[in-house]
Amino acid sequence: MEIVKAVTCPVCGSLCDDIEVVMENGKIVDVRNACAAGAAKFLNYNCEHRILKPLIRKNGEFVEVSLDEAIRKAAEILANASYPILYGWSSTSCEAVRVGLELAEEIGGVIDNTSTVCHGPSILSIQDVGIPSCTLGQIRHRADLVVYWGSNPWSAHPRHIERYTAFSEGRFQKSTWRRYLAKIRALIAKKKLERAFKRIFFKREISVPPHLRYEPPPFLERKERKLIVIDVRRTKSAEIADYFIKVEPGKDYELLQALRMLIRDQEIETDKVAGVPVEYLEEVADVMVNCDFGILFFGVGLTMSGAKMRNIDAAICLTRDLNMRTKFVIMPMRGHFNVTGANVVSTWQTGYPFAVDFSLGYPRYNPGETSVVDILLRGESDASLIIASDPASSFPKKAVEHLAKTPLIVIDPHMNVTAQIADVVIPSAFVGIEAEGTAYRMDHVPLPLKKIVEPPEGILPDEEIVRRILVEVRRLKGIGGS
Amino acid sequence: MEILIKNGFVFDPINHINGERMDIAIRNGKIVDSVDESSAKVINASGMIVMPGGVDIHAHIAGSEVNAGRLLRPEDHAKDVEPKTPITRSGVGYSIPSTFTTGYRYSRMGYTTVMNPSMPPLEAKHTHEELSDTPIIDKATFPLLGDWWFALEYLSRGQIEECAKHIAWMITSTKGYAIKIVNPGGLESWGFGKNVESLDTEVPYFNITPREIIRGLCKVNKMLNLPHTIHVHTNNLGKPGNFATCLETMKCVEDLAVDEKPVIHITHCQFCAFKGEDWRTMSSGAEEIAKYVNNRSHVTLDMGQVIFTDTTTMTADGPFQYTLYELSGNKWVNHDVETETSSGIVPFHYRRKSYVHAVQWTIGLELALLIKDTWKIYMTTDHPNGGPFTSYPRIIAWLMSSQARKETLKKVNPRARSKSLLPTIDRELDFYEIAIMTRVGQAKALGLKEKGHLGVGADADVAIYKINPELTDPSKDYKLVRKAFERAAYTIKSGEIVVKDGEVVKHVEGATIWLKIKTSSPIEVSEDIKRRFREYWTVEYENYPVSEKYLAISNPKEVEASI
Amino acid sequence: MVNLYPKREFKVPIFAECINPEIFEDKTLSEIAELEVWEGNKRKKLGEFFKIEEVKAETEEPTITLYGDLSRIRRIGTKMRRGIIKIQGDVGMHLGEEMEGGKIVVRGNVDSWAGSMMKGGIIEIHGNASHYLGAPYRGSTVGMRGGRIIVHGNAGNEVGAYMRKGIIKVYGNVGQFVGLRMRKGTIFVAGDAEGRMGACMKGGKIIVCGHVDSILPSFTIENVKGKVKVEADEIAQGPFYLFLGDLTENGMGKLYVSKEKNSHLGFYEKYL
Ligand code: SF4
Ligand SMILES: [Zn+2]
Repeated sequence: MEIVKAVTCPVCGSLCDDIEVVMENGKIVDVRNACAAGAAKFLNYNCEHRILKPLIRKNGEFVEVSLDEAIRKAAEILANASYPILYGWSSTSCEAVRVGLELAEEIGGVIDNTSTVCHGPSILSIQDVGIPSCTLGQIRHRADLVVYWGSNPWSAHPRHIERYTAFSEGRFQKSTWRRYLAKIRALIAKKKLERAFKRIFFKREISVPPHLRYEPPPFLERKERKLIVIDVRRTKSAEIADYFIKVEPGKDYELLQALRMLIRDQEIETDKVAGVPVEYLEEVADVMVNCDFGILFFGVGLTMSGAKMRNIDAAICLTRDLNMRTKFVIMPMRGHFNVTGANVVSTWQTGYPFAVDFSLGYPRYNPGETSVVDILLRGESDASLIIASDPASSFPKKAVEHLAKTPLIVIDPHMNVTAQIADVVIPSAFVGIEAEGTAYRMDHVPLPLKKIVEPPEGILPDEEIVRRILVEVRRLKGIGGS
Repeated sequence: MEILIKNGFVFDPINHINGERMDIAIRNGKIVDSVDESSAKVINASGMIVMPGGVDIHAHIAGSEVNAGRLLRPEDHAKDVEPKTPITRSGVGYSIPSTFTTGYRYSRMGYTTVMNPSMPPLEAKHTHEELSDTPIIDKATFPLLGDWWFALEYLSRGQIEECAKHIAWMITSTKGYAIKIVNPGGLESWGFGKNVESLDTEVPYFNITPREIIRGLCKVNKMLNLPHTIHVHTNNLGKPGNFATCLETMKCVEDLAVDEKPVIHITHCQFCAFKGEDWRTMSSGAEEIAKYVNNRSHVTLDMGQVIFTDTTTMTADGPFQYTLYELSGNKWVNHDVETETSSGIVPFHYRRKSYVHAVQWTIGLELALLIKDTWKIYMTTDHPNGGPFTSYPRIIAWLMSSQARKETLKKVNPRARSKSLLPTIDRELDFYEIAIMTRVGQAKALGLKEKGHLGVGADADVAIYKINPELTDPSKDYKLVRKAFERAAYTIKSGEIVVKDGEVVKHVEGATIWLKIKTSSPIEVSEDIKRRFREYWTVEYENYPVSEKYLAISNPKEVEASI
Repeated sequence: MVNLYPKREFKVPIFAECINPEIFEDKTLSEIAELEVWEGNKRKKLGEFFKIEEVKAETEEPTITLYGDLSRIRRIGTKMRRGIIKIQGDVGMHLGEEMEGGKIVVRGNVDSWAGSMMKGGIIEIHGNASHYLGAPYRGSTVGMRGGRIIVHGNAGNEVGAYMRKGIIKVYGNVGQFVGLRMRKGTIFVAGDAEGRMGACMKGGKIIVCGHVDSILPSFTIENVKGKVKVEADEIAQGPFYLFLGDLTENGMGKLYVSKEKNSHLGFYEKYL
């Protein structure tokens, strides 16, 4: 038995790097420290959907071919296209993204990563107003107020709370575990009461008015971290919060602007905003102003509903305004483990984080115009390469139809939905398990990904596959060199 | 490959060559005595200036902060694009160019070595990945260590040696080159939204003052025998009246100097040479600083010259950047890094007609001209803070021609003009002095022995500019000077011709220079240290250091510490 | 005067900045046919895409008329300073971007970023306009700085974002965030607005004659006005509720909303 320590988990944007992988005879037999999602990845990555041989569609059927043939075919498709798209990149290494950008530039294509459909709006807002932020350790050490807005870390980033926020232990801040346990007990009791209460007096659901809110015992009150959860529904994360605001769907923008008003001590001329009574908001605004160090985490619940990017615009402005009164920072809860890395690499090479169009010979950026999902919806592309992503299972139907209509290359370890409609499928190794590389945590901290086991025979990492395609494209175009 | 540069006017101050017509021979990336003329590639440099390749002691070109600046400013890039060519990669400018463009643009001006002066150690891999994607030029990067908890704790307990050991570990593991100190104590305070006011304000929770941090790290620097001095961005940067803080900072290490050797570098000095009580009464403190520096030998400076343009300010000085945001109302990025440092970014437009901006413009030039010894002050813009590095040729023109200065002075805010000393300064630098300020002096201050000169054994990094010092009077023909320095006739990097007539003709990788510091008893990687590590940071000890594979070309310099 | 007829259907995006009266002026037809156009990543010539015909001029102004479906063609009339472009059909993105003068008339629909960062001239759209009408490029805070945009149909989101001067009139409905972060200038909407009008505006004037769902909480009611001046010779008949905002940006922008069409906003009157 051998234990590999300090392994970085290639699953979510929390990028926990304290994973211990237990090996026996070159196989992973156990995983320590990871959450269920992380552990499942290490234990089950090599499942039956694994592709083991490159495939090319001939006469409508997949045929197994040599890697060279698949690479050649892929290169041909890309080299001849007038407006190819290269999409995915958020579940692979920065090294692969680097080569991907070079390929995109060489073929005059559009390269885009999955932020286009998750935190793209956040980035657009950052470009409009900036962003006061920090690394996660800063929160662990200092934050006495944590706000999760439109994100449910309990299920999407399971160890986020434990490692970086409410339950973590820092230099100036203690963990709220103990308080949480005390609270859970109180909460269970209260819930029973509430339910009974509701059965008797109310027919409709109530959105936790202030008087029903859990009041922590006074000895736990001050100088401990507080947690606020704001969401359209009562999530598991909301259960452990000190304040929960149930916002009317699509009305986050109004709520944010109202909070901005309140922290500026301005009067609001309505009784309720986004379904929440203004007095309750006043209380929350007070908590925000009076903390020593606050953090607002937001998720796709905020970026993809209602006012979309402008929600983030307002959330950032709220955070910025709060800095007139105290210290406050804000951070997007990035989903895929290296979507941040894909943005970072793209930015240093091209100036732009995603949706980069090289068709005019230089990087051009204008999400809405150069974002892959919009290009597909308008039916403009004439070839696609999809890597480390499965857009066919998440994009709108019309976009997927266009994807299927034009020549499609898929690089992925799995036979996912997109691979099933592809013309060329090239299997790849799992980065972070079968291949090494670099990934960026949601707070922009770079971490090394390890190679723990050998990939199946003949299967290469993304980086290597893309590089071979690039070399082949250059050969076809009659350009020598590296 | 062998190259022979024939008949140029050579400026090589370290070897006391002042514009003599001579040949320079190159073999295998180094300067040699002679090469066989019949087989070597011969460059006819007659009527041209030959200098060592440019060295920039302070320009933010890579890393998380620079990249956040890039992300912030699509509107800055869209106005300045670089299409792909058969030789070069594509990219964008203007104030925060993408990595490839950065490398190309520097080399087009004859620059071959650049120091990236602020690297958050936790994000060092990021900096190195970007530096590796910055072609042609050699580079090095300075970890930010002035607010690192380990350093603050050891120094506050007076454990200088222990501190030195940890700093040695840190510089070596993050592949850094020098100790960077930014607003010492202020960045830690910024963790809770505060700042420090003076050298003697106590840093909350740490029982230490900025003065003690600077002195402590200055001693550490000496113990470790680092090639460069501590590189200091002073407290109170960008605030009226801060010239006093700057003077105090220089004074506070005066007694630590031996043998007239510099022990401190004050960077982008323009930004900490403001007199006055507030923005209305703000004026230049350049005279006082110059007077002090002229009588001392323990300090070097760089200008941090301001250019009238739209640029992007970025420093590790979080509180300063917040002030700038409040002043300008522009978009603002802040990024604090756990247990180490902070940073901020604000786009900024320096306008001729603004009183404050015009005063800032005069301060930079006053410093450069009033400090008599060009070996003490170097040309920078604190790229991109005062303006992009591509404006260096313009500054060279101002330094060489009082006429050029007058032309600009005519257009600036009249109140700033009337209060400034600049109109009364007639000093005009010559090419020899320009060589010192733009390369030779910088290489010397950095302790880069193979750079900044053309003696046998030096790195074959050479810049050739199409201007004839015998026929041109820079005082009058400053526009020609500017053009010549904008587009080098040739840039040779490690013995290869990379630029010809201002265009990149070859894409080569540049090296990253870093220090491998040897201490007699290095810190032990005990379970205890790992635990402490885990408490301070949110990453594992094993995942912290930067492995050599992150460096396109690794150029380690071994340093024997005296501890 | 030159007419352009597409020779075929367009699939991938086409960048045709050269379609600009000033560039066509003083050129022969064969010179015009040689002008550079990008089809995706391929450099092509205008003549490969269009049949180019010279017709007798109706006006002194250099004029270009385009026919057919041009919805894939971007940047027509970019940086145009004078002359006339007539488009008989739908047209693609960035129409009249950074335009400084002259006139563009479209008898069809227009894709996003029409009149983006416009400084002068007129764009008149007889169909619908899409999003970001007159808005600036990503990250820029300088929107429209002059000129007029008139839309007879509907317009999408963020009409006139970051506007600094000029006028936009939409006779149909508009999407969300009309006049986002505007500083000066006038936006007139004859129809309904989807919401969040004038978010973060610092100054300027927005007039909505139709229905709105709600007013942002960062606006304060100031008055009820009988009528509002749209421009020199045009007055919108009210009554209108006048709101000031956006207070979160210390703004003093004016937002006029029809009283008649928005009886649900009546509760604001108690704050008067
Ligand atoms: S929280 Fe995310 S990164 Fe951490 S172990 Fe779970 S899935 Fe992996
Ligand atoms: Zn600097």
